[in-house]
Amino acid sequence: APAAKMAALSGGAPWRRGWLPALQLVRRGSKAVTRHWKAMHFQRQKLMAVTEYLAPRPAVPPRCLPPKKETLEEDNGYARLLRRQVEEVFRDNRMIAVCQFNSMPDEDVVLMRRYLRKHNIEVKFVLNEIVRPVLSQSKYKNLLPLFVARNILLVSPERKVKEMLRVLKGVPQVNLLGACIDDTILSKQGVENFAKLPSLEASQGQTVGALALLPSQTSSLLQCGSQHLTALLDQHIHRLQAGETGSTAEPTPAQSS
Amino acid sequence: PPGPGGVAVPRAGLKKYVLPPDYSGITLPERTKLKFMDKVPAVPKVKREPRQLRDIRGPSREATDFIQGQYGILALGGGYLHWGHFEMIRLTIARSMDPKTMFAIWRVPAPYKPVTRKSLGHRMGGGKGPIDHYVTAVKSGRLVVEVGGRCEFEEVKPFLTQVAGKLPFPAVPISRDGLQQMRQEEEEKKLNNQNPWTFERIVTANMLGMRKYLSPYDLRLKGRYWGKFFLQHRV
Repeated sequence: APAAKMAALSGGAPWRRGWLPALQLVRRGSKAVTRHWKAMHFQRQKLMAVTEYLAPRPAVPPRCLPPKKETLEEDNGYARLLRRQVEEVFRDNRMIAVCQFNSMPDEDVVLMRRYLRKHNIEVKFVLNEIVRPVLSQSKYKNLLPLFVARNILLVSPERKVKEMLRVLKGVPQVNLLGACIDDTILSKQGVENFAKLPSLEASQGQTVGALALLPSQTSSLLQCGSQHLTALLDQHIHRLQAGETGSTAEPTPAQSS
Repeated sequence: PPGPGGVAVPRAGLKKYVLPPDYSGITLPERTKLKFMDKVPAVPKVKREPRQLRDIRGPSREATDFIQGQYGILALGGGYLHWGHFEMIRLTIARSMDPKTMFAIWRVPAPYKPVTRKSLGHRMGGGKGPIDHYVTAVKSGRLVVEVGGRCEFEEVKPFLTQVAGKLPFPAVPISRDGLQQMRQEEEEKKLNNQNPWTFERIVTANMLGMRKYLSPYDLRLKGRYWGKFFLQHRV
């Protein structure tokens, strides 16, 4: 064995004196791929420690900043439909009353709807989150403070306020908050006053009567003077006739006028 | 928003209806269950092959992306799968999935590589042992099975995690989105790494003579792989 080694060492370039071949190192270790975690050379361990990932650190930590509220604006088709319906309601109907709706038994709700339907008033349940953006962009901005908490809309093409108030008086859970009649916003007091007003025909008749009052008086005013004179002269004639029949007959009937 | 007393008043808003998932583009193949894999290939090998552990080392070049299915098992380390593993996978998935709405396909070939074993109790020497069994080599980053059909990831995840835990290498169940997100995160990590010294940079420039302690394969593996292990936390 030593003779073979000497013979090998005396050979070509790699076998120079004092040069240790790398194969000797590999012979003693394990292979590159092992079942266990192969121990790394210390230099390699240092290299792995130096080249580790360092996460970025912003100057201000994100939890000190105000939280970003990401508003998810997913335009639901259903929400769009409801908004369109609300716009139609505000366009088509003349009287819109906003009422607060507290929870009622279902049969009472049905009865109330029936009574209002008889007067052609429809009951609509609306969601605030749909009505508020619709109103804020239309001319009914002042109705916005009414649409808080659970409410309903009583809409009608006619203006039967008296009947509506009578029905609502019988239902304690629905309270009138305000109304928009013919594009005029009325409070609860205003609605009651509106109900106390006479009906359109009666008020029309009243205005006509008031306007016709003066012309009807003009004829009597114009005839007043001459009528007065006629009445005076008639009186005079009667007195003269009464005086003459007591003494003699009238010789001059031409003097009478 | 909190009310006048400072307490948030709960209100019911408009219900947002979630549309059911759209499975229009999915066609189920004829055989939805996993094919039976042979223990020994049809033509068994006569010549014994050298060990060639390089088929375990490093990242995988094949079967890294999804083909038909939407969810799968991703290998995060190298290893050999033998027939026992194949049977376990096949039976567990067949038991847990619904063959009418889901399908599963293999992304690894049947065992092809012969592994020799010497008989027990003999000393070293006497030549190479006879072929004992066959295995398939799996590198890290390769998909093992793919599952698809009219199902969600949450339905598939339980049994895929069960299978992934039983494999000889670390594995995770993953979906198409999950894989994309993983790759994106890797890219981001590479970009926003605050450390100016990276393994790749030091090795390619041979700084401080580091290549004396590293393998020539480390130029390609870039410090993310060590033997059959995949170091996921490293950049």
